[in-house]
Amino acid sequence: MGREVGIVGVGQTHHARRRTDVSQAGLVREAVDRALADANLSMDDIDTVVIATGPVLFAAVNQPEKWVVDAIGAQGKSVVRLTSGGGAGFAGALAGYYQVAGGYSDRTLVVAYDKLSEGQLQYSISTLYDPFWGREFAVGIMGFSAAYWRARMDVLGHTEEAAAMVAAKNRNNALKNPYAHQKKAVTVEDVLASKPLCWPIKLLDVPPISDGAAAIVLASDKVAHHSTTRPAWIRGMAYCCEADNAPERSLMLSEPLAIASRQVYRAAGITNPRRQFDVVEVQEPYSCFELNYYESLGLCPPGQAADLVASGATQVDGDIPVNPSGGCMGANPIGAVGVIRLIEAATQVMGRNETHQIKDAKLALVQSGGGWANLRGCAVLSA
Amino acid sequence: MFYAPETAPIDLPTFKSTISLPYTLTPGKSAGTFLAEMPNRRIVGTRFADGAVIAPGQDFSPVDGEEPVALVQAPETGELTAFTRTGGVVLGLVRLDGCRNAFVHKILADIYTLAVGQRVAARWSTSEQGTSITAIEGFVPAPDAPVGNVLPLDTPAEPLGVINYAMALHYDHAYGPYYGRMFDEIRQNGVVMGVRGSNADEALLPPREIDDITHKRTGTWKACADTGTIRACSLINMEVYGQTRPVPYAYAEIVLDGASTKMIHIIEIDDLETAKQTIKPGTRVRAVWTQGERKGAVSDIERFEVIGE
Repeated sequence: MGREVGIVGVGQTHHARRRTDVSQAGLVREAVDRALADANLSMDDIDTVVIATGPVLFAAVNQPEKWVVDAIGAQGKSVVRLTSGGGAGFAGALAGYYQVAGGYSDRTLVVAYDKLSEGQLQYSISTLYDPFWGREFAVGIMGFSAAYWRARMDVLGHTEEAAAMVAAKNRNNALKNPYAHQKKAVTVEDVLASKPLCWPIKLLDVPPISDGAAAIVLASDKVAHHSTTRPAWIRGMAYCCEADNAPERSLMLSEPLAIASRQVYRAAGITNPRRQFDVVEVQEPYSCFELNYYESLGLCPPGQAADLVASGATQVDGDIPVNPSGGCMGANPIGAVGVIRLIEAATQVMGRNETHQIKDAKLALVQSGGGWANLRGCAVLSA
Repeated sequence: MFYAPETAPIDLPTFKSTISLPYTLTPGKSAGTFLAEMPNRRIVGTRFADGAVIAPGQDFSPVDGEEPVALVQAPETGELTAFTRTGGVVLGLVRLDGCRNAFVHKILADIYTLAVGQRVAARWSTSEQGTSITAIEGFVPAPDAPVGNVLPLDTPAEPLGVINYAMALHYDHAYGPYYGRMFDEIRQNGVVMGVRGSNADEALLPPREIDDITHKRTGTWKACADTGTIRACSLINMEVYGQTRPVPYAYAEIVLDGASTKMIHIIEIDDLETAKQTIKPGTRVRAVWTQGERKGAVSDIERFEVIGE
């Protein structure tokens, strides 16, 4: 086994629909400055840097790490850039975790961002499709996601109303999140009545398009105490994939997430996730995804996600709060979201979430995913 | 001993694909001010705490990442630090007087007359009046130009928030033997062919060399029907960049009869409410082929339609 690794500093930008006052590099700088200050460190103290973003077509800058390195003062350091679509931030954090756990770094800075106001989001995502076989009819990730949600309605009972409950919960939770930019109270009825975009996905099932960056400092147990007396320890972390167009790919459950959660739960000693976790942060690019995650993460058996959200258990005051931050519904700078979810979970178990602290939270579950719909991961953080 | 298999590349037609995208890029404060000052014919740089000046201005020091302390007006004269020629255009790196860095621009001179270290001066364009670095047409040799000074920038223009940009990327994808045969069959015979899985009769579509599940070689070729069953579908009712059809329509992942994997296509619909009832997972559909000569592409199937009772 590797060394113990903790999150010892966090920082994120105030996310926005469009930031015209900073370049992509400037956006990254804001998050890095905040994370380093939070960890009582300067760039001199950092051994290695991981920079994570979504696909370059999102904002037309190839190898953006060359630009970012100048902006964060990382000249001369070990820098790797990593991209994995929506899960880029999480995959970047996993790479950083390996570096510290493996003993190759004592302190690693992971910064993730996307500046989605600059490009054409859904069209860029359509270029993930096989150019011979499907791209010309693709409607980004939304057409695809809606199609499999529709299939799950029949098989698993993930109704429009159940997803609307997720959307309303997360949107209302986002009202308290100082970093969210979409803040409007909505009801389940509002969601159901909103305009169909890719039915069954409707306007209020969809997160905003955002500019934003998020950074964390990972530290080994040897040096973590220099930054904080209470790090958020990473007890397990995994990111798995499946074949894109294989005959046995049902897409009813997220199989890679189920595999990842089994690995992580074994590492972290989780036998009853519903009872053991105090708080959960998931990356729900559309409301229907969160229902799917409840099942793949074992928070409920397959087919019972609609009942779980309807029971109120995943509300802030429920027994297993999911996305007290508002999740993607408050802000969705895609490449950064994996790190934002880690930050939200870390501040919960560190006991220092100023606006939406879950009382006595000690153990948190984080989910993130990206690439195509077939890359999914999760992590367990503890006090 | 190293063994080289006896294979050789064969030149075959490629599949041409273009990704074309508009952007609205954000330059940030310093570069945004530099561009905003182009119509005023002033070159904006940035001064950092250690006294170093960078031009064109940057929000972060390329030396240590520090933020600048002031915007400045850089001189229009400097020194050529490197040069080359590409496509008949001479490009050079120019370090303006008093500045730490060099930046690339056109050099308006015969390349054989140039020398590293020589003095150059900016020539402003007579035609470009906009907020582009091409407002500087280029740099011309200026052996006698006095060394210019970095000046404070008096009442700088508001930085540009957004710059319109467009990118078109052209690709030539190789089909490979499996996609090649499939598209040849579509073009010549109007038949969608896959290959059987390693231990199954159902065909994998698109055809491939290795079975994803068993990781063994796939089996023989098989013609699939142009009828099939919807596995998943959604009703597209939003307009997004790059769409080729008017909304609403249905996006469908269809498993053709005889196949085990999906193909993505569309189904025309009249209205959302009716389509919610008539187009579902399990609905039977048939391909509607385009009229006239086929191209050898998935779009030779124009759309799918629901098979009536």
